[in-house]
Amino acid sequence: MRVEADRARCVASGQCVMTAPEVFDQSEEDGKVVVLDATPAPPVRGRARQAAAMCPGAAISVPQEPAEPLEPADR
Amino acid sequence: MTAPAPTSAPRLPFDRPNPLDLAPLLGRLREQGPIALVTTPAGDPAWLVTAYDEAREVLGDRRFGKAHPAPETASKISSAAIQSGPTGSFEDEEREHARMRKVLTPAFSAPRMRRLSGRIEELTERCLDEMEHARARDPHTAVNLHDLLSFPLPVQVICELLGVPASDRDLLRDWSERIGVLDGGGDAQRAMADFQTYMGRLAATKRDRPGQDVVTDILAVQAEDPSFTEDDMTRLAAGLLFAGHETTSARIDMGTLFLLSDPARRDRFAADPEGLVQSTVEEILRITAPGGLGLMRYAREDARVGAVTVARGDAVLVAINAANRDGEAFADPDAFAPERTPNAHLAFGHGGHYCIGNALARTEMRIAFTALFRRFPGLRLEVDPRTLREHSERLTGGVSTVPVLW
Repeated sequence: MRVEADRARCVASGQCVMTAPEVFDQSEEDGKVVVLDATPAPPVRGRARQAAAMCPGAAISVPQEPAEPLEPADR
Repeated sequence: MTAPAPTSAPRLPFDRPNPLDLAPLLGRLREQGPIALVTTPAGDPAWLVTAYDEAREVLGDRRFGKAHPAPETASKISSAAIQSGPTGSFEDEEREHARMRKVLTPAFSAPRMRRLSGRIEELTERCLDEMEHARARDPHTAVNLHDLLSFPLPVQVICELLGVPASDRDLLRDWSERIGVLDGGGDAQRAMADFQTYMGRLAATKRDRPGQDVVTDILAVQAEDPSFTEDDMTRLAAGLLFAGHETTSARIDMGTLFLLSDPARRDRFAADPEGLVQSTVEEILRITAPGGLGLMRYAREDARVGAVTVARGDAVLVAINAANRDGEAFADPDAFAPERTPNAHLAFGHGGHYCIGNALARTEMRIAFTALFRRFPGLRLEVDPRTLREHSERLTGGVSTVPVLW
């Protein structure tokens, strides 16, 4: 259940780095997202989720952890 | 849906009762549907998007841009000298936008802003010292937070970033105020012309003696791109200074009004500023609503929004302040609740035009609110915030007095 970021959709806003600096960085070259920690533990994971919800390019996904209950459709 | 005649459509900016609450008409329009026809301050027709989902959709959709296929026929938004109508070339919009982002992204990146934190903290502490001096000089008078912190802090930071001499501060303040007046007309244009002339002269000195600043970065890119005109360059630099003067300042003022309008809320924050500042700043960004218009776009082609078809060339104003108080997206939307998760507000927009200065604004706000309540945990307002006047005549809104005591 890894945190993933799609560089093609990234608009290099840096929002994710401001929200969860333990999880995301920006490349020096083009400012696009770099994932530093793909498996953050709570509460950092919560902030990664906030970064995903806010991402202006909709480039970030933070899937549900296995321990978290899944929707019936996902079982 | 049949669009009503433009003349009958309500005219922006709508009346709002005070700086904390939104114009009631925004809420009424949103209840009727996500998008409505309105009249701009310039008297032209435009669509106003008030619902969260549709606001986010339009801002993230490349069919809505800032250029216009036939600019002379476009709806004017206002007679300010900035964000008042279409900008740039319709054919080259994507390329010009990519060029601008490429120049500015490294200069305003989150890691760069983090490295700037120490300097911003230093400048903030100096502002707070000034507040203490003012209070000591005249113990019976409230201190105006706007004049001593909210305004000077972002200005000093943006001037240092751009490499603009602090001694020219009064000139810059005057131009920034005048270019954003919604019915500014000729005076706004003259201020913009003076602002651009100033930036042109500054650029000339930096071409001779490059500095470590954003203007120098812009000049380096301009030197390699013949289509990057002097007008483009001076407009971009003036726009950055304008944004640095007017936007973060309003958020610090209005955020303080929200924090101080309920003593229990203030005490909770003052008990642990470092721990609460990140979520508190995001909630301040969501709930504060400076300015009465919204983000300006023009449809590049016909596009469906809600139940209406926005025709190619139509002006669209995305009322992010209204979207940020949409009960469909935020539970109890008028309540100040830093604990809400996620808090995916649209204060910086969404999509490819997301505010390039967001990391700077967030850094400044986090530092300012932390330091302010560390120094003055008992800070309070001298007046009821609902009696203060918002500058609805300005593009960026805001207040000019925040009288505080401690």
